[in-house]
Amino acid sequence: MGKKKRGHPDVEELLSRPWCYYCERDFEDLKLLISHQKAKHFKCDRCGKRLNTAGGLSVHMNQVHKENLTSVENALPNRQGLEIEIFGMEGVPEDIIQQHNQRIIQNFYTAQAERQAATGNPPRGLSGGQGPAKKLKYETPEELKKRLAEHRANVAAQKAAGITGAPVAAAPADGQSPAQANPPYSAPQPGYPYPAPGAAPPYPAAQGYPPTAGAFPPGSTPLPARPPSGSAGAAPYFYNGGAPSTVDELVANAARQGGPGGDDIDHMIRMAEAGIRPGAGKVGGAEEAGAGGGAGEKRKKGTRMVYGDTEVSPEEKMAMLPRYRWVEGTA
Amino acid sequence: MAPAAQFEAAQPPKDAISSLVFAPGPSRRLLASSWDKNVYLYEVSNGAEEANLVGTFEHRAPVLDVCFGADENEAFIAGMDHQVKRIDLASGEQTTVGKHSAPVRCVVYSAQHSLLISASWDSTLQVHSTTNASQQPLTIPLPGKPHALAASPSKLVVAMTARLVHVYDLPTLASAASSGSNNNNPPQPWQQRESSLKFLTRAVACMPNDAGYSTSSIEGRVAVEWFEDSAESQARKYAFKCHRQAAPEDEGGGDIVYPVNALAFHPLYGTFASGGGDGTVALWDAEAKRRMRQYQKFPESVAALSFSGDGRFLAIAVCPGFETGMEDYSGEGRTKIFIRELGETEAKGKGAK
Repeated sequence: MGKKKRGHPDVEELLSRPWCYYCERDFEDLKLLISHQKAKHFKCDRCGKRLNTAGGLSVHMNQVHKENLTSVENALPNRQGLEIEIFGMEGVPEDIIQQHNQRIIQNFYTAQAERQAATGNPPRGLSGGQGPAKKLKYETPEELKKRLAEHRANVAAQKAAGITGAPVAAAPADGQSPAQANPPYSAPQPGYPYPAPGAAPPYPAAQGYPPTAGAFPPGSTPLPARPPSGSAGAAPYFYNGGAPSTVDELVANAARQGGPGGDDIDHMIRMAEAGIRPGAGKVGGAEEAGAGGGAGEKRKKGTRMVYGDTEVSPEEKMAMLPRYRWVEGTA
Repeated sequence: MAPAAQFEAAQPPKDAISSLVFAPGPSRRLLASSWDKNVYLYEVSNGAEEANLVGTFEHRAPVLDVCFGADENEAFIAGMDHQVKRIDLASGEQTTVGKHSAPVRCVVYSAQHSLLISASWDSTLQVHSTTNASQQPLTIPLPGKPHALAASPSKLVVAMTARLVHVYDLPTLASAASSGSNNNNPPQPWQQRESSLKFLTRAVACMPNDAGYSTSSIEGRVAVEWFEDSAESQARKYAFKCHRQAAPEDEGGGDIVYPVNALAFHPLYGTFASGGGDGTVALWDAEAKRRMRQYQKFPESVAALSFSGDGRFLAIAVCPGFETGMEDYSGEGRTKIFIRELGETEAKGKGAK
């Protein structure tokens, strides 16, 4: 494309990144993906052996530990099955690939729209005189490209109409107080991968996932209501406003559940990525967890003891029950 | 492939199990004491993967502990009815060998010194010399109620309320017990320690090599420490969290902490197993400070554990755990005994790193 990239990978780059079927994470190269899968999804919890596939782990558990593997660890809720044989990117069903690509593309254009909104720069395609979406050639359906082109045009139109007017108009329309209408996060960040609900028409990818309302723990920032999908003008200001698309949500939840423990290898992979690709990967990851769970791992967690008496043993309590009590002279 | 199989003992006790112990040496006999007032004797059959009930011995009150005596035909039990009894497993004959003024919590037999030690909630230890039955037992007052008792070849560890731990020297106890009862001047503990764990001690087990012991508490934690009183040895002691589960997010998160009900050292490798209220059993390498294995969850809380004398089998007693707030309890129908045949290197540690 000739233009300098300003640290933002273009959509081809994003789409070419290998990613993990089980947890939707993407990686710099296939080696990292495979070592991630061995560490997070195909590791034997009895002896630590790392297998290449879920099937391999199942056989290992059976033969070595005489136990049955029922699900893949650390996987998204609907991807724990053992039926699909995954190795790296091999074996991922076509429809799942499509879903993933759509998600990446949507995230990309959302992030781009945000950058434009933040910087005031015109979209690359328009100012450079390039035909919109002409160069896109990957497994994405034609229809989607068209939609993206429309979206770009929308953004451009919005630019032309003057950016300041839109949110003022949109906020009261949603019946929100001014405080709520403010973006919940201080400033849009470059490379921020979150989708803007309403920025693009709803896509079929979401259909396979259960609704996850209530997945956010209490105490996180109250989220403003999702704007109706027609009000594209408000989109950049509400990029965090509605529920994220469900795949994103699942990923964010999974990241949160990973907790402070986080696998070493995984951490290393993340670090390596952060080094290679400063900005996008790291900031995105941190924000994802933050938006999803209110920094779950920072929260001081309470513990609950199933037996809490520090003076009297369970046996002494049981000995007091009529069922077991011993009285001298009986029996 | 090395053998690694798990099977269930036939005809498990009808109520919760208080203790489970394999006979010493190559014997495959296994005793279980139960709150249903019986002691059950099982034998793991040769070859086939099964354990059959050989006999039951009825007591008049719940049995809180059981141990083997000098051989696989002698057993001692601790009764809720304040009695310590000897059972001849061959003839079924039962004789009372001691009496406390409160339920007897633990019994331990030291083969090296032919001593039977019982610990009761009347806050005393009784030391019985089994070679001379006519001898009055030696009574040692304790500063608190005992909850767990374990013997190594030369030491006896008593864990009490208020986190007190006393270590007695067995040869000293043996000579005091045989020199005629001198209950006015009982032997003093060889060491008095404070538990390394902040909560009530649940179980104690001694290293078979006489170097130290481990304790566990109601608060999902296990400590390992050494007998030797040098600063160097004491610096080696450590404790770690285990038998916990993350609570679901919608219940506020955090950890659910289970008591660690049982500890057992492997007779050969110096590794040990812990069993908790979460229904899991884990194998630990005491030297390398590592978890070697965690077995698949059992359906109920793990109440007791025992390795066989040759280290080939691990017996696991499973019954509902008593939890805070329970007003009634029954282990009926939910009590089971599992026996795991270990692979050749399954319980072998890798050594300190």
